[in-house]
Amino acid sequence: MISSILFIALPLLFGFATPLFSKFGKNGVAYSSTLMQIFLLYLASYLIMTTSSPHIEIIAIAPPLGISFVLNKVSLFFVLIFTFLMTLFSLYYLSYRKTDAFKDETKFFILINMLLASAIGLVLSSDIFNIYVFFEIAGISAYILSAYTKTAQALEAGLKYLITGAIASLFLLFAIMLIYIHIGSLNLAIIAQNFETLPYNIKILISIFLLIGFGFKVEIFPLNFWVVDVYQGSTSIINALFSGIVVKAYLFVFFHILYLFIPSGEFSLFLIYLGAISMLVAEIVGLRQTDIKRVFAYSSLGQVALIFTAFAMQNQEAVQSALFIVASHSIAKFIIFLAITTIYKEENNFHIDTLKKFHSPFLKVIIVIAMLSLLGIPLFMGFVGKFLILKSLALHSLVGVLSIIILASLIEAVYYFKLIGFLFSKEHKRETVTISFTQKIVFIVLAFLILFIGLLPFSISNFLSQSASIMLNSTQYIGDLL
Amino acid sequence: MLEILNQNETIHTIVTVGSMSLFFVGLFGLLTQKHLIKVFMSIAIMETSLFLFFIGVMFDKNFTAPIVDATHTTFTNMNDPIPHAMILTAIVIGMAVLALGVSFAIEYYRVTQNSEIDKMNGLKN
Repeated sequence: MISSILFIALPLLFGFATPLFSKFGKNGVAYSSTLMQIFLLYLASYLIMTTSSPHIEIIAIAPPLGISFVLNKVSLFFVLIFTFLMTLFSLYYLSYRKTDAFKDETKFFILINMLLASAIGLVLSSDIFNIYVFFEIAGISAYILSAYTKTAQALEAGLKYLITGAIASLFLLFAIMLIYIHIGSLNLAIIAQNFETLPYNIKILISIFLLIGFGFKVEIFPLNFWVVDVYQGSTSIINALFSGIVVKAYLFVFFHILYLFIPSGEFSLFLIYLGAISMLVAEIVGLRQTDIKRVFAYSSLGQVALIFTAFAMQNQEAVQSALFIVASHSIAKFIIFLAITTIYKEENNFHIDTLKKFHSPFLKVIIVIAMLSLLGIPLFMGFVGKFLILKSLALHSLVGVLSIIILASLIEAVYYFKLIGFLFSKEHKRETVTISFTQKIVFIVLAFLILFIGLLPFSISNFLSQSASIMLNSTQYIGDLL
Repeated sequence: MLEILNQNETIHTIVTVGSMSLFFVGLFGLLTQKHLIKVFMSIAIMETSLFLFFIGVMFDKNFTAPIVDATHTTFTNMNDPIPHAMILTAIVIGMAVLALGVSFAIEYYRVTQNSEIDKMNGLKN
């Protein structure tokens, strides 16, 4: 029997055993950690093919005492995305490290393995204090990754990230303490059973603290002032991880907790408007940026806010569309940020004009595929998710939100087409960009997925719809856990 | 006369009021102080106030420490040990984050000769 703990234990083990592997030279670290990620990817895809019932692992004592991990369809979906992207990231990095900045590779692999372990841990945990611990591990590795190059900009980004992250974790801890004082348990199932019976003002207080704590991390409007600076200060290869993995893990946990604690959807309308306004603000500000990392940081904010809106609607079709956008946005942003890493060789010059000055038909096609998918053009993967969310909004007659989202998407289209125009403009002399074989494979796999699922959305829509109903079904989850 | 001070309710009230005022001292520092080290100190104060609050509120003066020995053979009439375990974990994590933050601040000062949070504006368009 495959244990779900493997998904957390293996990356953690490889993270901390990295100094041992460095005895075999720098290649030893890189190859062993990549192999481990490929193994996890195999494990996740094997489980996704075979598992039908949720798999629950409890360490020590009996429920409700003890630490439990729940591996059901929806958490498996996230685990699959994270391991898949992390494997491709490592493969990309295997050839990237020969050319660039990250000289001290052993440290780098400790950090990305920790990030993977904590992202998977956040998704699998069913114990709120464990969620706090993984929240912090993910935070710490992300702070170090963003300040990794130790330039003034990177350190500034790291500091901003760390201070906001510390404040967020304070509020999360406060919420957990209030929950423990009033319910006397840390198990999500028991908290969910008793949450409705709490006094109204305590319930509101806990909800507000949870919203503030997670709001910083899921990058929602008033609390997302730090995000763009962090994206700009960190190197673009790290941004791929932030946008593809870290945010998605936090988003899942936030809504997982929300569905469990408040199955009635009491604050749903408030959260929907919060998400829609976040998206509009992000796209408007993103319009006049000239630094490419800032442009895509704002685009990330917009897309994450769209996912937030979809999750907040708390019905099956919307959650299914949210899962669709999670997958398509992760893949597309991975392509974009890895492509930026390949194109921009000079440090400190990330002006969008550089897009006019490189020559590589292969990379141009890949970037255009990713951008069109982000925009939600039909026949690309991003279209399905956007179409489903708009349909769901229309069905529930939320016309205000619908128009805000369409307006934001139009604004997004303006700057994406500007960038695509830059890619194909003829006014400049262009320099050829060389891409190694493994990097090409990574780009091709990602782009192929976008096109394949875009053409045949039915290949995964059934699975996602089942995942959505599992995620929404809180009584089932509580029953499984106790 | 002083009996009233030795009641659970009084102890909990004192702990709550005290730790929450400490929390707002930290929050005030976080919002007003500009020096990076002072910002981290404010965060540490807020964190500590939460720990105090939680441990204090979960304490019951009628119960003993949760240790089984010759006189206490069952797990009755004992204080809940879980808050202590939680707080120990949280202290370690908070310490790690703080140490990381201070080391970032030192490194940042080395590179830019700046330690004020409102002069951190290298990241603008």
